Amino acid sequence: MSLLLQATTDWAFSVRALAPVLLVALSGLAVLGIDSLWPDERSLELVAGTAVAGTLSALGLSLWYLASGTGQPGGGGAIRLFSETIIVDGTALFFIAIVTSVAAMVSVASYDYLEADENPGSYYSLLLFATTAMTLMAVANSLATVFVSLEMASLPSYALVAYLKTNRGSVEAGLKYFLIGAVSAAVFAFGISLVYGATGTLLLTDIAAQIGGVGDLDGILGVGILMIAGGFAFKTASVPFHFWAPEAYEGAPAPISAFLSSASKAAGFVVAFRVFAVAFQPALGVAIDWGLLFGILAVVTMVLGNFAAATQTEVKRMLAYSSIGHAGYALIGLAAVTADANPANASVMGAAMAHLFVYGFMNTGAFLFIAMVEHWGIGRTFEDYAGVGRKAPMASLAMAVFMFSLAGLPVFGGFFSKYILFLGAINAGFWWLAAVGAVTSALSLFYYSRVVKALWFEEANGSLDALDSKPTGLYAAVIVAGVVTLLLLPGFGPVIETAEAAAAALFA
Amino acid sequence: MVSVSAYAQAIVLLPFVSFVVALFARDNLPKGGAYSGIAATAGSLLLSLATLAAVYGGRTVNETFYTWAVGTGAQDWTLSFGALIDPLSALMLVIVSLIALLVHVFSLGYMNDEGEEDLPRYYAGLGLFTASMLGFVIADNLLMAFMFFELVGLCSYLLIGFHFREPGPPSAAKKAFLVTRFGDYFFLIGVVAVFTTFGTAAFAGAESFPHLAEAALGGDATVWTPGNMAESTWFTIVGLLVLGGVIGKSAQFPLHTWLPDAMEGPTPVSALIHAATMVAAGVYLVARMYGFYVLSPTAMGIIALVGGFTALFAATMGVVKQELKQVLAYSTISQYGYMMLALGSGGYVAAVFHLTTHAFFKALLFLGAGSVIIAMHHVEDMWEMGGLKNKLPVTYWTFLAGSLALAGIFPFAGFWSKDEILYETLIHGLNEPLLLIGYVFGLLAVPVTAFYTFRMVFLTFHGEPRSDLARDPHPVRWNVKGPLSVLGVLAVVTGGINLVPVKKVLGIKGIDVLHKWLNNDWGGIEGLSSHHYAKIGPYESGYLFGGEAATVIAGAAVSLTLALAGLALAWRLYGVADPAEHTAKLGQIRELLYNNYYQDEYQVRIADAVRDAASGADTFDQGVVDGVVNGVSSVSLLSSERIRRVQTGIVGNYALLLTLGLTTLLVVFALIGGWFQ
Repeated sequence: MSLLLQATTDWAFSVRALAPVLLVALSGLAVLGIDSLWPDERSLELVAGTAVAGTLSALGLSLWYLASGTGQPGGGGAIRLFSETIIVDGTALFFIAIVTSVAAMVSVASYDYLEADENPGSYYSLLLFATTAMTLMAVANSLATVFVSLEMASLPSYALVAYLKTNRGSVEAGLKYFLIGAVSAAVFAFGISLVYGATGTLLLTDIAAQIGGVGDLDGILGVGILMIAGGFAFKTASVPFHFWAPEAYEGAPAPISAFLSSASKAAGFVVAFRVFAVAFQPALGVAIDWGLLFGILAVVTMVLGNFAAATQTEVKRMLAYSSIGHAGYALIGLAAVTADANPANASVMGAAMAHLFVYGFMNTGAFLFIAMVEHWGIGRTFEDYAGVGRKAPMASLAMAVFMFSLAGLPVFGGFFSKYILFLGAINAGFWWLAAVGAVTSALSLFYYSRVVKALWFEEANGSLDALDSKPTGLYAAVIVAGVVTLLLLPGFGPVIETAEAAAAALFA
Repeated sequence: MVSVSAYAQAIVLLPFVSFVVALFARDNLPKGGAYSGIAATAGSLLLSLATLAAVYGGRTVNETFYTWAVGTGAQDWTLSFGALIDPLSALMLVIVSLIALLVHVFSLGYMNDEGEEDLPRYYAGLGLFTASMLGFVIADNLLMAFMFFELVGLCSYLLIGFHFREPGPPSAAKKAFLVTRFGDYFFLIGVVAVFTTFGTAAFAGAESFPHLAEAALGGDATVWTPGNMAESTWFTIVGLLVLGGVIGKSAQFPLHTWLPDAMEGPTPVSALIHAATMVAAGVYLVARMYGFYVLSPTAMGIIALVGGFTALFAATMGVVKQELKQVLAYSTISQYGYMMLALGSGGYVAAVFHLTTHAFFKALLFLGAGSVIIAMHHVEDMWEMGGLKNKLPVTYWTFLAGSLALAGIFPFAGFWSKDEILYETLIHGLNEPLLLIGYVFGLLAVPVTAFYTFRMVFLTFHGEPRSDLARDPHPVRWNVKGPLSVLGVLAVVTGGINLVPVKKVLGIKGIDVLHKWLNNDWGGIEGLSSHHYAKIGPYESGYLFGGEAATVIAGAAVSLTLALAGLALAWRLYGVADPAEHTAKLGQIRELLYNNYYQDEYQVRIADAVRDAASGADTFDQGVVDGVVNGVSSVSLLSSERIRRVQTGIVGNYALLLTLGLTTLLVVFALIGGWFQ
């Protein structure tokens, strides 16, 4: 019996379980196919339609699986495929839903962004392959699949950031992203090798079983875990691996900034949650107190992200830093984990997942609004945004919703997710994390409200005639994101319940 | 069949809808929103009557609609909204919605016909005012009551200051707001104290705070008290804290000063404030949580004395006032003093009875005054009037009915209720000398009330016209006469709902309807009946001349004689063709009364005296608090600037920082984890 096929694989069953992932992958291949069949035509409608259809059907399927209990305790438990290297469970489906909904919004919005583009096929195929990799990250259950899927997500992302080939900022950002990514991948791979050296396995559940017997190798294991944490910090744009983020988000086409800062970050967190909850929880008492490690990272990330955002002059860069700050909030979900079988572990990690869900909509919406402003070409600074509210009230209203929701004001979805997260941290005994979170959220209100003030309360500086063009796709995506952000206030209950159930299954 | 609790919600929501409609539809409404307001309050009235009928049929409500906060840990309190529909609240719902409806109709004449501007704002205010008061009436817990109590205060602020472009109204509105807020401050502390002590603020049921307090005093339950204070002492303190809000809202001494100034508001608003909403809220609150107050003899004594004193004190100030509405304002303070006297001396039914009759005759008098003011082109000085009797017959006859009721002349409504208050105070006072002082205050106020009431009637309607305006008054329409007629009838007949003296003297059974009503004879909620209150209350009855009937007759005879004496004096002095000011005869007292006993002056002086402390707090706020806030923001921005500079733009620096960061973490965790050993 070969190493790879310890158990016979039921292919039809595997395809069904992984259908959301496969649908996105197939739509990416279809885009490539369309591009190759009709290389001379700019078939923007067709490729955009394919991308939207692929991501939406994957989203629908993952939501259906979530609702029907597939892979969850109620529906027979987690589905483990391919010698346990792949797992389909509540957490995976929850994050596939986040990633595919962000990808769907970005696909819709990119339609207008690529109006003048020569080769939309390459853009959409890269986007879809990155999405495929991110959904794969959600189902990865072995450090090998984790590494491969993470790199598979990174490579198209580098290309997408540098997609505006004639724009110096875009190309430079892409290169920097790639270089930092290379360093981080090296650290990550090194960490995996050390963990393998200490435990002799790459499967997450087996690592957990082996940790108790590492003996003198605990130092090796500790270094390995720390380096793996570094790799996740890169993917989630957490300090000190965040340096690529402000420039990549700023230089990239705005829909790609939305995609990276929402979907890519969520994907980074799902692997981090799974790896640390499933594989490394027993290491808390043995090799390294990684809870403290993430606590430090969370505090530094919250502080740095929010403080740096406060003095930016350009809206997009401010959002880039704010997205770093939000990574800090989500890190609380890992920082508050303790070694014993404490129900608070699952509740705080579930709260972080729910926060990432809400964040997926409000942050994507905010970046897509930036994309709309870039489409109009009225400038990048806060001053340039003055008076837009009068000319484009619906979009500006949605933007105000995103800003206040990101700040966590108690009128939109972002309030509950932050509130439950901080409450969970306090209940788990980590009041200092909640305190830092609350203080930095208060600071964030300052810079978020600057956008709202510029949009609605300031007089326009120059001509806003460009606003007469109404990019349909961008508008639709922004409005959908706004409506969902709004609806997540009353509808937060099911989200948090699903997330906490999924997290509880991880710790079980 | 729709449930009673659904009625209760609809009763509150209807005027609220009219508020929202008036607020948002603004200029698109016919008559500036008056019709929607009338429709809404008429709906509320019908539903209130249905509720009254349901309670008559024994269907009461005590349920929570919405819990909006649940405590954790040891403080597992729930904060909720709910409705408590029992005989008391059902009666009050009818009173409030009826008066609100009539005020809306009257406003058509007073506001619309007089060409006032900005009417949607006016009707929006009336709608919200009515909704808040109705919400307060159905409140099933103290916190909900407090919230609606505050809304009532806010609405009266908005409506008193309706003519905000003139100098007087905004200032009066502010005064009303601040003075009542001062009382509400104590109320708020009281609410917190109730929660801390009992863990609940519900009015009724086995888990309600009056019930728990009763059990605690009986040794059947334990509650929290600060520093192991005796429970009875602590309950008195809590009761007095809540009473702070009552004294502010019901304009009792010494927080009555806002009410005369509040006359700056439009007259229909005054009618609403005085008869059914703002001022009534205070007394209603004491009645609502009466089961708690009766447990504390001290609190009861203070309520009785404050009430009795206010009744006399305010009445004396009404004697010298020159403006029609001012006289009515002081009469309101005085009459609510009577209700407080009744509550404090164990006369629960008497207080509710007077609240009811007063609501009708005081609304009548204010709307009558409004009618006179329309006729007089908004001149309010009584010395400019005279002789309006023949020109405004409907107004005159209804106003006269209201005045007879106010003065307490047999057989008008006010006679019955005031007589019962004095009777209850007397029989309980025979064993409790302190109450006798209150009784004397109340008794002395009777002739004064009759005097100033009829001075007002004679100066306004009798004699020769003393100005051109009075010779040729502006006519009033149906929308003024209609509400006046309804209230005029009620002012005459409402006494009939509670003919206790007749029952006691002649022995006719079944004519003390209100007594039976509040005694849950037709159904009610356990623990909220007059019988229960009397059982746990501190007072016993005593009788003069060897019997109940004799005491009733003697008491009624004394008060009626005094009232008639006051009336006769007013007639002699002012019931002539060309009356003169007789105030000079009062000598020194005249100045004192004109200046309202210098109440405003001394309160301003107290306010000035605390200004030093206030400016100290201001310095602290500006210097330390703002300094810290500003400091934090400057430090934040400065450090933001620094943090920003970490991002140099050079990728080599990034790689270096990244590696250094990772190395630092490695070293730190290696040391913590002891990997190098």
